[in-house]
Amino acid sequence: MTDLDAWQERSRAWLASVAPEFGREARAGLSQDEDLAVGRRYMAAKYDAGFSGITIPVEFGGQGLSPLHKVLFETLEAQAAMPIGYFGVSTAMPLPILIRYCDDKDWVRERIVAALKGEEIWCQLFSEPAAGSDLAGLRTKAEQGGEGWTINGQKLWTTFAQYSDYGILIARSDPALPKHKGLTFFWIDMKAPGVTVRPFRLANGDIQCNEVFFDDVAVADSQRLGPVGGGFSVAMATLMIERYAASDADGFGPPIGAFVELLRSHTINGRPALRDGRVRSVIARNHALRQGLDSIRRRAMLIMEAGQEPGPEGALNKLFSVRSRQKLSELALDLQGSAGLAYTEGAYTKADWAASWIGAPTMRQAGGADEMLLNTIAEKILGLPQDHRPDKGVPFNQIPA
Amino acid sequence: MLYDEGQHAMAEETRRVLAARTDRTRLLELLDRTGAWDEAFWATAVEQGWTALAVPEEFGGLGLGLIELGLVAQEAGRVVSGAPFLTYGHGAVCALLASDDEDLLATWLPRLAKGEVKAAVAFAEDDGAMPAAPSVEYRDGRLHGTKGGVACGLAADIAIVSASSPDGMVLALVDLGQASGDELQRRAIGSFDNGRLFADMTFSGAPATVLEAGDAAEEAALDLQAQMAVLTAHEQTGGAEAMMLAARDYALERKAFGQPIGAFQSVKHRLAEMYGLVEIARANCIHAAARQGEGDFLEAAACARLSAIEAYDTATRDAVQIHGGSGVTWDGGLHLHMRRARSLAIELGNALFWEDLLATELTGEPA
Repeated sequence: MTDLDAWQERSRAWLASVAPEFGREARAGLSQDEDLAVGRRYMAAKYDAGFSGITIPVEFGGQGLSPLHKVLFETLEAQAAMPIGYFGVSTAMPLPILIRYCDDKDWVRERIVAALKGEEIWCQLFSEPAAGSDLAGLRTKAEQGGEGWTINGQKLWTTFAQYSDYGILIARSDPALPKHKGLTFFWIDMKAPGVTVRPFRLANGDIQCNEVFFDDVAVADSQRLGPVGGGFSVAMATLMIERYAASDADGFGPPIGAFVELLRSHTINGRPALRDGRVRSVIARNHALRQGLDSIRRRAMLIMEAGQEPGPEGALNKLFSVRSRQKLSELALDLQGSAGLAYTEGAYTKADWAASWIGAPTMRQAGGADEMLLNTIAEKILGLPQDHRPDKGVPFNQIPA
Repeated sequence: MLYDEGQHAMAEETRRVLAARTDRTRLLELLDRTGAWDEAFWATAVEQGWTALAVPEEFGGLGLGLIELGLVAQEAGRVVSGAPFLTYGHGAVCALLASDDEDLLATWLPRLAKGEVKAAVAFAEDDGAMPAAPSVEYRDGRLHGTKGGVACGLAADIAIVSASSPDGMVLALVDLGQASGDELQRRAIGSFDNGRLFADMTFSGAPATVLEAGDAAEEAALDLQAQMAVLTAHEQTGGAEAMMLAARDYALERKAFGQPIGAFQSVKHRLAEMYGLVEIARANCIHAAARQGEGDFLEAAACARLSAIEAYDTATRDAVQIHGGSGVTWDGGLHLHMRRARSLAIELGNALFWEDLLATELTGEPA
């Protein structure tokens, strides 16, 4: 047994041992606040068991293992439906950035341990009402004066800001520079005076996203991460961290097997639904697509295991799998007739077709909209030119609004 | 499964050799002729030992398998391979190995390995790619009936034929050179892809040797169909990638409205989608080749075949579109891939056949 096999076995065994306390069934019917409390207990148990901060260096409270260890554990963890959503951003992006850019290493270690244990939560304050895919078009201002900085403006889509203790923030420090150059990166105390968090509901009823307002929020210069004007590079480094995230060829919707089982008892025109040519075509094509994505994922793991960098084709997963999930979920609802109209808010997207369907559009936006992913593939992999950008090189404050 | 260094080197060398020896003008000329193939391609295949790759060593082969043959097929697909013999030769090798008849193996395998013998595999009939009860009949050592649209049919020296018999379905080998003109007629099909050497083959008492009968024949037929489908999927993936790259290169070079057309999202996104289909097909091909002989091989082969059909169809369709007017000229040559995408989609069972086969594997329900 290799080291990785042993790791996987140990992960599987531990997850199975805590599933009754934290898994899907234990969480059924809980309110979000109750679920969060279960989540915090799960994070503490995970920390004690030695599965937290897998790629974070040991001296900062992590395990100091490879990205592959992380992907293997997180894949199993997602399959077990553990309550990790609240901590997904918190433990993924901000922590490595603090390690890299923050000088007070003792403080960083304290924050990391608290975040890994689920005691503290971090959010990522990037997107704004007028800056999503075009992140560098953001308008939140950071003005330097006296001891430190003053932040004014608004962030949007900030996941779980309503529970967050801290955040990492990118803001415009110099509007007279072209848009990518005038940005600076900070960490923020979410409980500081002038920070207002307003949760809002998504289309599926979930309350995960927030508007965050900054009104004259004072930030010390020691909270700056990276050089003044270097914020965009720090933000890019942040987004790169997630390139080793666990992926799912089913787009975090139900698998093809669930579609087949759903249809086993249904008929179309008096014949078994599974004998209908249209249904068979959908099953076969979606399965072939997802098998391909899964082979790409498994191959990437093998390449990582061999100590090499996986190919760029890993970028395809979200784009293709979520579209597949969206259409298959529509059809799964249609084929159930009136039963397909039922809806349980907050149901698990890998087990519930309505939850999968209504949540799919969110997945097609979050973490890179489909159109941005296509642009990235075209530009970074195929070497095609960037889109025409009229704001390129223009000082931010001279770009027509 | 990851390719090892040797396999990578082999793919590179194959690509280099084929790039040097493929002449598009020659391929275009073939389109206007029936019964002809690209001699240079076939000579290269024999000289490079591709014909021997998957033949066991004791019969003069290299004892490798679908993975290596798939790599060659992918490179052959990239240049619109000049002859269909590698895929069908492998089908014949599989059929012979299934028979386990030492005399037959010793007679045919060394010659297939050396490329002295070209094979056809004739399963399809009007009502399907693999009829369970073929209309072609086997009686008293002879075949009767017609197989339509047999690839390699015009050039093959031997054919593996599925036929009905009192013992159920049989897989039979016909030594085409030994059959008289009365016993065997081949009628050329003037096709949009003449290099595939399509023929209707009518057997009127041609002598045949049974390789397998009954359930064993059905099993062997399905397995060799799946193996050939995996090779073809590699070929389709290679063709799709070539089309994607040709369209990419053209989009970088061709300017309109003051910029390369590759800067327009309508073109960029189309190319990015093609890239996705190519990589998904490639991943399925590699997986399927590595699953040869395993319980889920048929499922993996169907996935490879379906995604490769989609990739090649989409890549040719969209590459031609991106090329604008030059995509539809004779000399531009993109239609070589367009034609090949279609012929390969039809050979070895179309997408509907493989969808049904895969759906049956996944659901347990027949169509």
